[in-house]
Amino acid sequence: MRIAIAFVAAMLTSAWAQEIKMPPAFDKLAAKAEESVDVTLDSNMLQLAGKFLSDKDADQAKAKKIISGLKGIYVRSFEFAKEGEYSAADVDAFRAQLQAPTWSRIVGVTSKHGENNEVYFRTSAGSQIGGVVIIAAEPKELTIVCLSGTISVDDLADLGGQFGIPEVVLPKSKAKGKEE
Amino acid sequence: MSTRLLAVFLAASAAAFGADREFDRLVKAVESRFGVQRTHIPLMGVANFFVKVARPEGATGFKLAVFEDLRFDGDGAALDRIMADASEGLHPLVRVRSRRDHEWTYIYTGEAGKSAKMLIATFERNEATVIEVQLSIDALLRSLGDPARTGKMFAK
Repeated sequence: MRIAIAFVAAMLTSAWAQEIKMPPAFDKLAAKAEESVDVTLDSNMLQLAGKFLSDKDADQAKAKKIISGLKGIYVRSFEFAKEGEYSAADVDAFRAQLQAPTWSRIVGVTSKHGENNEVYFRTSAGSQIGGVVIIAAEPKELTIVCLSGTISVDDLADLGGQFGIPEVVLPKSKAKGKEE
Repeated sequence: MSTRLLAVFLAASAAAFGADREFDRLVKAVESRFGVQRTHIPLMGVANFFVKVARPEGATGFKLAVFEDLRFDGDGAALDRIMADASEGLHPLVRVRSRRDHEWTYIYTGEAGKSAKMLIATFERNEATVIEVQLSIDALLRSLGDPARTGKMFAK
């Protein structure tokens, strides 16, 4: 019995450890920022939204299908008065959780103007993604988006502009590409 | 028959009481933390009646409490604790903190039967507002579609 409890505890700890956490340093950033926005759509909230979405309406049915696989959508956004208010170390503390082989960096755009955008996918079976993290860092702005749960690349593109998620330009999946 | 009617009435009363619980809890918490009383708003009942009839932006009813002479010192951590305690049972949706405008906005949502409710609190240097809105599903989904914008809308 004790072994079973230990096993279950280990499994739960492992699952918990795999969840992406916003580092405590972000709270300090929020205190320094001119403006900070914190959006939380946890599993309960998504279930609540899903409950109200109709299966009869095509758009709502699609949204319902997308959010049924999601466990949470979290957005943290900071706008600073001047450059240098947040450091690379602040972002590194968050990025340290996105380690291979669980996480893969799919997109990395660095500009000479100091605008850096990164997209990470959590690997999962088949064409599904197990989670998505977007880091958009500009000299005076920092935005982190975390999607927890399973989602396809096509659905992810459709989620852009919804639920506080910025528009994401991603290549459509091969299967859909052939159809088109 | 009368027992059934009484049961229905009690159930409805309990639901109505439950729906306002968070609002009342938050109003008391603000009064206690800042040592202020909510400002009396004349004809508030009339306004609520028109909201129920006209239903602007999907709102089917609302409660409003305004606090003046607040002297909010900008202690965001203290506000976070007040909001977390008062909103127990609701889901946090948006938190906007603007040092530029010295404004803190919190939005929580929850289920209210076949509709949804939204608890919104904004804190400024000298004033705070607490609103509870009963929302149609369309209005809730619109809010969820762009929660950051919803938060900023109430913050401004």
